[in-house]
Amino acid sequence: MEKIKEVLNKFDMEYVEDYKPTWVKAKLKNKDDITKVVEALKEIGVRSCSTVSPTDYPEENRMEINYFLEDIENKKNVWLKVDIERDLEKCEIDSITPILESADYHELESYSTFGVKFKGHPNLRYFLISADYYGKFPFRKDFDWDEHEKNVIENVNKISEEFFEEYEENEETMGHEGSRTVLHWGPTHPASGPIRLKVYTNGENIEKVEPDIGYVWRALEKLAERKDFIGTIVAVERICFMDNTNPMICYAQAVEEIAGKEITPFAKYMRVILGELGRTVSHLISLGGFFGTMGLQTFLMWCLDVREYFLDVLEDYSGARIATACIEPGGVRYPLNDYKAWFAEIDKAIEKWESVKPDIEDIFLKNPLMTVRAKDIGIFTKDDVIDNYLQGPIARASNVKTDVRLDEPYAAYGELKMDYVTCENGDTRDRLYIIYKEINQSIDLMKQAMKKIEEGIEAGEMDPKKDHLVKMPRRMPEGEAVSRVEWARGEMLMHLVTMPKSTNPYRLKLKAPSVNHTRMLEKLLPNHTLSDIPLLYGSMHICQGDLDR
Amino acid sequence: MNIWEILFYIFIFPGLTFLLLWTFFVFYFSRKALAYIHKRVGPHYNGPAGSLQTVWDIFKLLTKESITPKSADPYLFNIIPIITPLVAALPVILIPWTPIINHGHAILDTNYGVLGLVVLIGVEPFLLFLTGFGSHNKYSFLGGMRILAQMISMEAPFFLAALSPALLFGTMNLYDIMYSNTWLTTLILLPGAIIFIIAMLGILEQPPFNIPDAEQEIVYGFYTEYAGTNYVLLKFAEFTEILVVSAAAVTLFFGGYRGIFFDSFWWLFFKIVILAIIIVAIRASNPRLRLDQMLKFTWSWLTPLAILNLVWITFAKIYILGV
Repeated sequence: MEKIKEVLNKFDMEYVEDYKPTWVKAKLKNKDDITKVVEALKEIGVRSCSTVSPTDYPEENRMEINYFLEDIENKKNVWLKVDIERDLEKCEIDSITPILESADYHELESYSTFGVKFKGHPNLRYFLISADYYGKFPFRKDFDWDEHEKNVIENVNKISEEFFEEYEENEETMGHEGSRTVLHWGPTHPASGPIRLKVYTNGENIEKVEPDIGYVWRALEKLAERKDFIGTIVAVERICFMDNTNPMICYAQAVEEIAGKEITPFAKYMRVILGELGRTVSHLISLGGFFGTMGLQTFLMWCLDVREYFLDVLEDYSGARIATACIEPGGVRYPLNDYKAWFAEIDKAIEKWESVKPDIEDIFLKNPLMTVRAKDIGIFTKDDVIDNYLQGPIARASNVKTDVRLDEPYAAYGELKMDYVTCENGDTRDRLYIIYKEINQSIDLMKQAMKKIEEGIEAGEMDPKKDHLVKMPRRMPEGEAVSRVEWARGEMLMHLVTMPKSTNPYRLKLKAPSVNHTRMLEKLLPNHTLSDIPLLYGSMHICQGDLDR
Repeated sequence: MNIWEILFYIFIFPGLTFLLLWTFFVFYFSRKALAYIHKRVGPHYNGPAGSLQTVWDIFKLLTKESITPKSADPYLFNIIPIITPLVAALPVILIPWTPIINHGHAILDTNYGVLGLVVLIGVEPFLLFLTGFGSHNKYSFLGGMRILAQMISMEAPFFLAALSPALLFGTMNLYDIMYSNTWLTTLILLPGAIIFIIAMLGILEQPPFNIPDAEQEIVYGFYTEYAGTNYVLLKFAEFTEILVVSAAAVTLFFGGYRGIFFDSFWWLFFKIVILAIIIVAIRASNPRLRLDQMLKFTWSWLTPLAILNLVWITFAKIYILGV
């Protein structure tokens, strides 16, 4: 920590201060210094860029750019701010991608949504928005929908012409070297989901991959600005349907921090249980989907069968199976009127999982053909993980000890017994095994949390009918908060900005792990064959919902 | 053989009606068996236990428009689905189906039965390659190329394994092979049978060798552009091939329609269903191999083993049967 501060103080800073136990918050005065600062930070081990988040202040004519830089191994993080001008022509800053490559997609995202030009970015292009986008940038505060629509209608011919041009140019012969073909892998491919990979192939061999994303872009960050603080949970939980509860925990924590409220221990344990339920539900799909990519649906069906029991638990609590909206700022949404019955339901689901575990291990996890396919391909080393900032299960499969639940304990994780779950090799098969191990860990955590709640209720410390929610103020004070949770697929970071006496978020940056994981496909897939695309792609556990947001 | 007999063979048994019924049955059977392993219900509403579901499915497909893509070669694209089921159904005349017809012999009772079977089964993949070639679709073309690669490597062990009973009994007549088979020779032929069944999975594009029509990789390969009637015809060809190849396996290695207490078509059918159960079980528990892994497996393991098997058969013929 002190080392980071020392480095930062060498530069011209407005302030350098501590923020939470693991963060240093600093504001840079001169935007030209940014590359030097990042370089200096990289030398002392801050090698990963979590995300880049611009905040638009039209009245003050400035755009504030927040860099979230992380040192994964030593759990030290830097929150670096810098102001730039807002006018489109002058809205530019040096790119940090040449120094920290994990910033690549995040800078592109800021460029496409806010129009911040990153000078020196290796391939600056429109990213979430389509390549033929006309008009103002969508996340700016002065974005006008009517004008935008008019623009599109005026330019519709040009847009379609560009499309046909691209359509023509996708095959070339290289004489005796073979021929290069562009295969469009998606967005309607049976195994792709709403993403398009432009795969440059020579026969069956992959030469280059370019992900094209944005097919399910819902502009959730902008949407959140139009809703009140409670209503935002509905936007936030729709990041990805698979792990539904954890994004809401992340958002609720940020709001609580700004409001300065502490939630009750009961609500904390409830958040643990609900979060782990969400993780289990998500991991069960990942687990089965991994085999689905190799043409074996049996395991997916078995996993979905178990998943139904966990969804029953969520339904019992919140009334909804997928989009539960069950966690809000101030605690959890509903009281537990009959906690014993609900715990019995959880036990039933756990029992179901335990009953299929031996079969799963024997038939699928030790499957020789799966081993032949997945072992020793797509290996990530520790450096790969840190430089590209791969997160969650993917990082832990490569034996990198990172887990927000332990690095920066939130909810009640600090009071529960848990340890980093890791695998040794970091190959494709390990990315399957890690998921299996994590489900078991989640179930263990759920059991611990249930026990704690039961003890608390018996000792009279907790009241499940009243303790679930702390009253939150209707209007929030001015503030800024960063909140992180360990999501099913990795670190989720939310950056919330509020104005004085506001009823809705001024800016909510959602950062989800699939962005970096999708970027990694560019490096992972070349030199493999077409048959490996679904397998390697499936092993990254990418969800397009949180990729596009 | 009078004209009525010939018409009966062509249209009723073992011709069109039988093959159609078989297609309905095996479609339904694989769905239901797979559903059982998947912990699902499978077809449920149409007919008793959903048995009519496949019939409706096939008639639904027949009513659909047969689309010929603009870029495809229209003649090649549309003629192959007609030729393929015909070629797939041809080997039917070489197999002795039941003791009732033709005194238990095959309809075409020839001394080159094994050879005929092997050749007619081997022609099929080239037609499927042409479907991929005629579609003018990148994924279909890749599927076609994969079929060729797979067939060239799978047919070597397939033929070598099919030769082992012919070598053991000294005849290529399927009727003679069937009647020469005893419990002892079945045991001697067992390694050959296992190689034959593994190679059969490759020939029939069943998992783990469903590489040419891998949906997650190349979008069903050569099937991609086909719809409606053409698709039904291709599927019909596929299921007919499954029937022919598994009937060939049973006739060559497990005594065809001969059974305990009595000889009947139902014994043949029973043995085919057991084979089908094995195929479905493998399908339900094993992921797909990669193309290069399949090539490595066939050329460095399966083909050498098939040759070793011939050595073993020769040995057994001289020292165990003492012929």
